[in-house]
Amino acid sequence: MESDVLEQLNGSGLWLVCGIIVAAIAAICLIFIVRAWRAGKALGMDPVRMRRAVTSSATFSVLPSVGILLGVLALSGSLGTPWPWLRLSVIGALHYETSVAEGAAEQLGVRLSAGEMTVQAFSTIALLMSICIMWGMILTTIFNRRYLRRFEGRDLEKKTEGGFGDRAMVAMFIGMVSAYLGSYIGGFVSQRPEQTAEGIKYVTARFSFQGSLTPLVAAAAAAAAMGVFIWLKEKKNWDWVENFAIAGSMLAGMIATVLVGL
Amino acid sequence: MKNGFSYDTYLNRTHWLGRICSVLVLIMLVGAPFVIGGILGAMPDLAAAGRGFLAVGLVWTVSSVVEYLVYTPMLGAGGSYLAFITGNLINMKIPCAMNARELTGAKTGTAENEVISTLSIATSALVTILVLAAGVALMIPLQPVLRSPVLRPAFDNVVPALFGAMACRYYRKDPRLAAVPLCVMVILFVLVPSLTSSTSFMIIPSGAIAIALSWISWRRGKKEGN
Repeated sequence: MESDVLEQLNGSGLWLVCGIIVAAIAAICLIFIVRAWRAGKALGMDPVRMRRAVTSSATFSVLPSVGILLGVLALSGSLGTPWPWLRLSVIGALHYETSVAEGAAEQLGVRLSAGEMTVQAFSTIALLMSICIMWGMILTTIFNRRYLRRFEGRDLEKKTEGGFGDRAMVAMFIGMVSAYLGSYIGGFVSQRPEQTAEGIKYVTARFSFQGSLTPLVAAAAAAAAMGVFIWLKEKKNWDWVENFAIAGSMLAGMIATVLVGL
Repeated sequence: MKNGFSYDTYLNRTHWLGRICSVLVLIMLVGAPFVIGGILGAMPDLAAAGRGFLAVGLVWTVSSVVEYLVYTPMLGAGGSYLAFITGNLINMKIPCAMNARELTGAKTGTAENEVISTLSIATSALVTILVLAAGVALMIPLQPVLRSPVLRPAFDNVVPALFGAMACRYYRKDPRLAAVPLCVMVILFVLVPSLTSSTSFMIIPSGAIAIALSWISWRRGKKEGN
């Protein structure tokens, strides 16, 4: 059953749909490159400078792209490969895709795992992943022209810092992370396993301390790995590790669950 | 500047092209789950998607609006259309465009920045597409290994691993602030274990507590600064 669903999620139809969208977006990028290059030449910009922008951006993007590839690997076990490939190739980011997919799965009464995935759950998760991140595109489509006109000729580097916006973003993520970590701790403290016809299910048992420890192991190992990444970046000045921090930490957490299960 | 070239015309056409491309990509991305649903024989459950949006979508909507307001002026017209189509803004597109701008000495708000930013973001997106296409092609033969029962706990715990990593990254920015929503959530989930099936809804009160505390601390800091 489980492999049937994953087989369908890795089917040729999905590869075709996702491949067409990725190819279309690659074509859009090429069109913008050609137009910008021609405009730069017409503006009298030195082609060497423009070439430097292209080559530096290409080399800059290789390592983060490998990090994103690890994200595809992480999601492929529950969502198949074509859909995470599409999402992470062109529009999404790993932390966004994973948390939205989990939120959608929860509404359908399943978890983001191959064992519980159904084809309808998948198509609903895919829809929610698309809807939740479309606001940037909608805002650019509607407001970009007017909004950018306000900044013409202004030196944005002089912008002062200290607004509440950045703090609000950090606080919002702290709130989101706290809700999930709270649920893992609460699940361990106030649930216990029960054998059913479909396998082991966790049922309510306040203060029994018999719930699943695996999510906590995954979270703790991932947090520890992230700590190492931050240490390497800040103390050893290995800035490049930042590219792998989220995906690498997630893989460390996932590997820890395998080691615990052995 | 070459004869016959008008930067205003170029910019107008960039907006026109950017809008058309954004709408096309939107239609493709929102339409894809329905096409896939047709292929798989199971259409998306719209009611569940609506509930999911109310639970987790609102957080990301706020985040998208903030990203739009903050980053669009840095990216220029072409760059912003492309960046919002191709994603990975904070972890890749923004630093990539800033790096290119610094290397070439282009100033924000200028025609040069518009060109450099567009070249940089489009190149970055193409590199990601190529690296992922190559990596995914290499992953296909590994599918039987990835589906092995031994690895199942790993793929079942992708989400806890993500939130563990994010906890380390965000909690260290303000540990005292993080302690309050975390404690409140732990107490709630311990006392009402059935809430674990609606964790995504609990993001709303948890986020509200964190934002309220952060606002109080920011106001206090501002007053002390004055």
